[in-house]
Amino acid sequence: MDGSREQSTMVRTGAQWLLQALEAEGCDLLFGYPGGAIMPVYDALVDSPIKHILVRHEQGAALAADGYARASGKVGVCLATSGPGATNLLTGIANAFLDSVPMVAITGQVQTMVMGTDAFQEVDVFGMSLPVVKHSYIVRRAEDVYATVREAFAIARSGRPGPVLIDLPKDVANASAQARLPRWRSVAARTGEPEAMMRARGLIARAQRPLLYVGGGVGMANAEAALRSLMRSTGLPAVYTLKGLGAVDPDAPFNLGMLGMHGNPAANHAVQECDLLIVAGARFDDRATGKLDTFAPKARVLHLDIDVAEIGKLRSADVGLSGKLSEQLPYLAQPLNIAPWQQHCRELKSRHAERYDAPGDGVFAPALLRQLSEAGGNRLIVASDVGQHQMWVAQHWRVPRAAAHLSSGGLGTMGFGLPAAIGAQLAKPDACVVCVSGDGSIMMNIQELATLKRYGIPVKIVLLDNSCLGMVRQWQELFFAERYSEVDLSDNPDFAELARAFGIPAFTVERRDQVPAAIERLLGDAGPLFCHVKIDPRANVWPLVPPGKSNAQMMGCAA
Amino acid sequence: MSRTFEIDLDHSEGALLRVLGTVERRGFELLELSADKPDAETYSVRLRVDSERDPDVLCRQLQRLVDVRAVRLLAEPIEEPLPRFQATWL
Repeated sequence: MDGSREQSTMVRTGAQWLLQALEAEGCDLLFGYPGGAIMPVYDALVDSPIKHILVRHEQGAALAADGYARASGKVGVCLATSGPGATNLLTGIANAFLDSVPMVAITGQVQTMVMGTDAFQEVDVFGMSLPVVKHSYIVRRAEDVYATVREAFAIARSGRPGPVLIDLPKDVANASAQARLPRWRSVAARTGEPEAMMRARGLIARAQRPLLYVGGGVGMANAEAALRSLMRSTGLPAVYTLKGLGAVDPDAPFNLGMLGMHGNPAANHAVQECDLLIVAGARFDDRATGKLDTFAPKARVLHLDIDVAEIGKLRSADVGLSGKLSEQLPYLAQPLNIAPWQQHCRELKSRHAERYDAPGDGVFAPALLRQLSEAGGNRLIVASDVGQHQMWVAQHWRVPRAAAHLSSGGLGTMGFGLPAAIGAQLAKPDACVVCVSGDGSIMMNIQELATLKRYGIPVKIVLLDNSCLGMVRQWQELFFAERYSEVDLSDNPDFAELARAFGIPAFTVERRDQVPAAIERLLGDAGPLFCHVKIDPRANVWPLVPPGKSNAQMMGCAA
Repeated sequence: MSRTFEIDLDHSEGALLRVLGTVERRGFELLELSADKPDAETYSVRLRVDSERDPDVLCRQLQRLVDVRAVRLLAEPIEEPLPRFQATWL
């Protein structure tokens, strides 16, 4: 039902209008946790067709909504009460903001008459969230609830997507009113300016060593097919960011891999040598560029991004185009004469191909991830947590499309993996969703195992357990003279027993020869499953660009 | 180097906070601020800010705020010209 004339004459409570607006937006699922100030909405939910997923911590709700949005391309919705409920959402909102994920977060608030008096469970979440939302509202009148929610969805999904917060005081949720209709802002789609597009084509035509630098914007703009078509027709080599993973065809001959701190040396060398960087939906993040003033030193820059504020923010562009990637990328196609550069990229790729022949009998995590992703194929969606395992996923998981790889890129939120996997599985019930986590990250939202159990969500968890905070330990080893400080987790619980206590079947893998059977079980079992994998605590992520150094200065790889 | 912005924004809750927060978080020091409310629905704000960073980038960061209707970066005499961003916008 839309905001029809008939509807505007009906009287409903603010809470009912909220749910009515969610329905009108096609929202059939929301993630939340009840509490005092949001109770009118939970009361109205009893009569609503919208399914509510009860998480066990509000951060889980926000991150599950984020995972739902990333996997489906739809707006994720989360709901919490005022005060601690609202503050617990903030990490998830910030996560969505930094990765440009469309989300609507709804918080209960104390009654308007006591707002500003330090009332019980009152916190100014509107103020606290200002730096990490695309937009936000405090709804002061019941008649505004419906329109506000509709506008929030439009803002969350338009242009560069992002989270929108709606703070709903309890008296507004309880009050009855007719609804005012939404004021749709006309978001004029930018149309191509022929002159700038011609200059963009000219840059490419004149380049001898052009290189695509692909970010998360390509997948979010549904421009994956356009990008792949451009690469096929021109033979342009490409590198990608953590969030760009999957946008480039993993089997493309000139897919040089991820760039940046833990990138493939082929990708980093190609960036250093290219004479034109074609930046598609990426933002020169420091984890991608290393020391910025040494990044792509010989390159002119053609920057394509839906968000005009990204162009020229960190690196000035010779040509900047803000618009729809799906329309711009095809226009760039033209015959190129770059055979020597292609040959060089081919050699780089061959020289720096991944190797999986590690010595010993212990589980080699990169090989496990490679084998699991190849065995599972296109039906897999991987939701990674944050740490060493996240980089191993980025380096070794075969990702067939951008929406099949969920990772907390901008915020780097430990605890993202499990709730994101829950959201992704609910968005894509036919997919096989695998959460790859670490023994540090998993404990940050371990309570969501109860959510898996309650709803029978068949997420497969692969916990790579090195009994320490591996990424921090690696940095202490390399950059803090092996002075290990608060990274030992050798007193972890027995994770398989812990999973079983939540009602999730679990097993432990300790040796390499157990991996094939583990993969078979992970891909074969119908329900949720927890695979606890013990790995070498001394394993590091290679290669590595030291912090503050140029991407040309990689440690742990052949020259 | 200080630069002056004129910003028209909706008179909606938090609009001014959002503008000022963006200015400071993006690395600009606020030197002067004046705000006017010419009608019930509009704020008109004039800011003078200082930073080593490119004011054109701040201009676009302000423009993308939902409450902001228009941003004008006023031309001022420039003693040492900054390297200017040359892109063309579509």
